[in-house]
Amino acid sequence: MKISSIEYASVQAYDELLDQHLRPRAVAKPLFDYLSSLDEKELQDRRHAVEATIMAMGITFTIYSDAGNIDRAWPFDVVPRVMSRREWEPIQAGLKQRLTALNMFINDLYNKQQIVKDGVFPIEVLKGSANFRKQCVGVTPRFGAWAHICGTDLVRDSDGTMYVLEDNLRVPSGVSYMLENRQIMKRIFPELFRTSTILPVDDYPTQLYNTLAALSPRNGEVPVIVVLTPGIYNSAYFEHSYLAQQMGVYLVEGSDLIVDENDVVYMKNITGLQRVDVIYRRIDDDFLDPEVFNPESVLGVRGLMRAWRSGNVAIANAPGAGVADDKVVYTFVPKIIKYYLDQDPILQNVPSYMCMYDDQREYVINNLDKLVVKPANESGGYGMLIGPRATQAERNQFKELILNNPRNYMAQPTLNISTAPTIIEGQLAPRHLDLRPFVLQSDNLYATTGGLTRVAMRQGSLVVNSSQGGGSKDTWIVEEDI
Amino acid sequence: MLARDAENLYWMARYLERAENTARLIIKISDTLLDIPNGASLGWGTLLKVAGLDQLYKEYYDDANENDIMHFLIADERNPSSILACVKFARENTRTLREMLPEDLWERINGLYLYIQNNLQDASKNRRNKYMFLQSIISQRHAIIGLIACAMEQDLAFHFIKLGRSIERADMTTRIMDINYAISLPEDHPLFEITMQTLWAGILKSLSAFQTYRRLKAFHVNMPDVVDFLFHEKRFPRSVRHCLAEIEACLQLMPQSEKIIIATNSAQTNLSQLNTKAMNLTKLHEYIDVSQLYLGKIHQAIDLVYFRAYETQASVQISA
Repeated sequence: MKISSIEYASVQAYDELLDQHLRPRAVAKPLFDYLSSLDEKELQDRRHAVEATIMAMGITFTIYSDAGNIDRAWPFDVVPRVMSRREWEPIQAGLKQRLTALNMFINDLYNKQQIVKDGVFPIEVLKGSANFRKQCVGVTPRFGAWAHICGTDLVRDSDGTMYVLEDNLRVPSGVSYMLENRQIMKRIFPELFRTSTILPVDDYPTQLYNTLAALSPRNGEVPVIVVLTPGIYNSAYFEHSYLAQQMGVYLVEGSDLIVDENDVVYMKNITGLQRVDVIYRRIDDDFLDPEVFNPESVLGVRGLMRAWRSGNVAIANAPGAGVADDKVVYTFVPKIIKYYLDQDPILQNVPSYMCMYDDQREYVINNLDKLVVKPANESGGYGMLIGPRATQAERNQFKELILNNPRNYMAQPTLNISTAPTIIEGQLAPRHLDLRPFVLQSDNLYATTGGLTRVAMRQGSLVVNSSQGGGSKDTWIVEEDI
Repeated sequence: MLARDAENLYWMARYLERAENTARLIIKISDTLLDIPNGASLGWGTLLKVAGLDQLYKEYYDDANENDIMHFLIADERNPSSILACVKFARENTRTLREMLPEDLWERINGLYLYIQNNLQDASKNRRNKYMFLQSIISQRHAIIGLIACAMEQDLAFHFIKLGRSIERADMTTRIMDINYAISLPEDHPLFEITMQTLWAGILKSLSAFQTYRRLKAFHVNMPDVVDFLFHEKRFPRSVRHCLAEIEACLQLMPQSEKIIIATNSAQTNLSQLNTKAMNLTKLHEYIDVSQLYLGKIHQAIDLVYFRAYETQASVQISA
């Protein structure tokens, strides 16, 4: 397999597998030895086998378009992203540190607000937060944990440093693809797993089950756990169904649940009602309970918030956890870690400018051509401005948006995010990628080994979201030969 | 088991059974058109009534003719009993049930749906294509049943599938039996005898029952024997009695099924009151109507006991 040196010459980013002379890095050497032993045809055959496997396993996600909703096969690149265990372990520790602090922060915000009183977190940021739910004030969920499942997006800049891009604390998705990617690789390239020590990822469903089970309000009984999905038309429905199946728990929709006048949640079974202890919800706060949030919601369950506040049911992630999943709050995370844990952050934040402060806003407005501007509460890569690639008209439009609602915007320097060789038209070409590990917290802390690597399949593109044409790769944390 | 999952499994099975039997019904109608002599006619309106679709058809079409009716039965999505609509519903239901069904089942049902979509146009070009198309649907459906029979654990999910399939099958057997009611042929027509024989043999063939009938019942084909066979022959899997026995056997293994068993037993009692000796097409048609009501009552009991169990549970008060 040939490396596209022309494309590589045109990007100035760090490559995960190749050094600046396009030689494989030590960690990727066995992989490249193997790949170069395959001829073109053999590799093509394997790629076709991968595509067939993906179709047969039915790994799809739904794309919404004017032409109707279509189920699309998950685009997958067979060249894995490889990282050494030595590099991974501090990252893993950093992820756990971050989630611990974020959960203490959320719990504080809904209770004493000590961090505000101590002047570390500005009251005006809190006031402007769209995801602060006053209905959650005064609640302390078990173990003080609000965000039980967190998907943290990491990127690597050209100097090799890993940065946290954002923390997804609402309903992060993608973990099923991490698991399925590994299954596919094992099926199609079994030889690779014999020659290298690749750390397994498959314990995630068990860890997730344990995390959820620990939240059950009924001690001493086998907890009844459900995954609450918006239904088959949700883009992540495949994942909801997959996780329910892997954990051996029920997959339910809002209409399957009911809350009685004693604020207990039941599901509608064929023999009557069965009490539910833990809900792993995959619907947003807004739709969770029409009694409290969006009254038009048909996805949620009337009375669910009453049941949760009374402690009769656990909800993961807890309602209101999204208050810390906000791109403006993000900029405070290093201070939040220092404040609650009295530790220095292990993982770095991307330097950020907050438009709510006059001097920083002025800098942003004057440097729109160098910056990436993000709205505070959007996800999926929507509503951002990538300054260096935008037209003047787009930049002017963002200037307006920022001036009209400064609290809602933050900006970061354009990172030269790293690439990895990806098979494009029979050659290995550099494509930009990120990494989303998943972190769990209830009575224990857990972080996945690696995570989901998402890759922008279009040349030069920095947008890795599956809703916008991104694909994925298997992620290997390997034991280096000593 | 979740009530919604149970209901989806049950309807998935009913839709697939209905799709297959609608294909059988259409094959039978097409054959009938070839079999009836000059001087006889097929009442298209009556045919729709037999299929239970006359009201719905009137909403969308002005007159009852072969082309429109064929389209209505095969490909019109506004008709929830059309083959296309049935398979589409079954496919949507299967998507929500993937975690409790054999792995390949979704692919099979998805494959059947794609086959129908891709071949609809060809099938409507001529009779031969249509016949091949319908036969293929029937055999793909058989592969689906085979997968369920061979690869699925026989737990509650399996029982709900079996319940749905058996009720729908009994119902469709009676509807297909009723097709001859739509024929008008004067009794003094010189070909009356032979034509009626051909038409009843056609019904047996469309239900894959001809061989079994000959072996177990009689060599000669006549209405009383055919009707008796299709209602009562417990060894033939599409007979009403066989389907009711399957339903009862299933219910014996399921929780809280007493009321549904009572409804099933009523339908069985009704069966034993059928007198085929003094039978004519009109009496048969009336009897079939009654039989369908009994099947409907079994469905209502299943719906009430399982799909709406939570509504009747008195111990829990739901606040509005």
